[in-house]
Amino acid sequence: MGAPTDRAVISVRDAGVRFHRGRRHRSLRDLLVRGESGPRRDGFWALHEVSFDIAPGETIGVVGRNGQGKSTLLKLIAGVMLPDRGSVTVRGGVAPLIEITGGFAGDLTVRENIALTGGLHGMSRAALRDRFDEIVDFAEIEDFLDTPYKHLSSGMKVRVAFAVVSRLEEPVILVDEVLAVGDRDFRRKCHARMDQLTAEGRTLFLVSHSEWDLRRFCRRGLYLRGGRLVADGPMDDVLAEYAAESETNAPGG
Amino acid sequence: MTAGVVGTPAALHRRSGSAAPGPGFLARPRALWHRRRAVALLVTRDLKVRYASSALGYLWSVLEPLMLAGIYWFVFTQVFTRTVGAEPYLVFLLAGLLPWTWFQGAVVDAARALHTEAKLVRSTNVPREVWVVRVVLSKGVEFLLSLPVLLLFALLYRAPVDGHLLLLVPAAVLMAVLTLGAGLLLAPLVVLVRDLERVVRIALRLGFYASPVIFAVRDVPAPFDTVFALNPLSGILELCRAGFFPGAVQWAHVGLSATVSITLLLVGWTVFARLERTVLKEI
Repeated sequence: MGAPTDRAVISVRDAGVRFHRGRRHRSLRDLLVRGESGPRRDGFWALHEVSFDIAPGETIGVVGRNGQGKSTLLKLIAGVMLPDRGSVTVRGGVAPLIEITGGFAGDLTVRENIALTGGLHGMSRAALRDRFDEIVDFAEIEDFLDTPYKHLSSGMKVRVAFAVVSRLEEPVILVDEVLAVGDRDFRRKCHARMDQLTAEGRTLFLVSHSEWDLRRFCRRGLYLRGGRLVADGPMDDVLAEYAAESETNAPGG
Repeated sequence: MTAGVVGTPAALHRRSGSAAPGPGFLARPRALWHRRRAVALLVTRDLKVRYASSALGYLWSVLEPLMLAGIYWFVFTQVFTRTVGAEPYLVFLLAGLLPWTWFQGAVVDAARALHTEAKLVRSTNVPREVWVVRVVLSKGVEFLLSLPVLLLFALLYRAPVDGHLLLLVPAAVLMAVLTLGAGLLLAPLVVLVRDLERVVRIALRLGFYASPVIFAVRDVPAPFDTVFALNPLSGILELCRAGFFPGAVQWAHVGLSATVSITLLLVGWTVFARLERTVLKEI
């Protein structure tokens, strides 16, 4: 812990995210006058006092039961959620394979979607031109290029999304459970692609319930429970601790 | 913290829990400018959908203001005896209705922009302002593309077109500032307070008659004219009419319009920055 090192590609300091139970709609006065500071009684910390540093090229697996803050942590790193406390610093861009098909527009064709998503994630026009064929090959989608995205099967949608986002030239890759979707052949391709990315020295952040995936891709593990970081160490040790605790606390959610 | 010192500043993304909107007031506009390609992409996509997907394409974007102009022309010149506006009245109407269409479309769409694009907002790390700016610019381009229609009618009715036509440029800039301010203010609020969207629609309907669209500010009698003079649209619409109606511009209105627009942009952007964190959780 301590100050973030100069080498860290991701540096998370006492990060906290607070959600409110219920009361989605609140009064205008509350919002404008008080902003979103100050604790509220009906809130809970989805993430609390989480700190760690990630060096370039590290491979990190995040474990924890559902609703313990794993996805929130990934969203913080991806920059699509902001911490209420502490800070999250990311050096360079992030290729987020989270909520993966969400960024695609149903009415546009596959071709237009590839251009749009690539562009929104910061891919230059030239880079997109260079990689377009590769993306199409990887997704095995050449026959459907001019089909509206909404008419694709869910497996195809994930293939397109993975193909685009995994082609981003960003130093950090976030992967949230996407590997659970898709058939075995595609999963194998995804694994090969992830191997290639980590071999190139990218930093990989993987959230998964598959112990096999975690052991295969990640050397370092983070274990989240109740929004707190309860273990940070070699993946095998963290998995062992997670397994031990899961047995003592009988399943419930 | 040494984090900010190393690496290229553009590539360093720091997000912290403090309420302050980052280092310096210009950080957000700069981040937005940095991702201008994302804006260009979205605007192009909007225009493509607008003009390529339907056979009527271009006609659709000018049809509504044209029809409205026709109706008001009929009501006020054929049914009632017109004493407001200026001759040729149809040109006067169009020069007000086209910018009004931009204003109304941009405010309605920008107010719900974060809500309609929730999926993209949740999955893409672009400055969240992009979703509002995109709406303002798309509607702005539609306005620019509708200007030939205005010129056509000006020629048909032999309106005296002169160099003041260039005042359309500051008019468009002011309109962009005004709608951006309104959009940035409303977009996060609509996510948090859903029924606000309905309030916006009603306010715009009333706002139409509180703006000099079908008449000029000088047609409004004494106690009410103050409302119109304070309306930021007054100055903008006068600038739009300057090329066809000599003496249409009252510079006091334009000055006020600029002041209100810029103030609204600053307020809107501040509120947007302040509510961003909450909005991202609720979306």
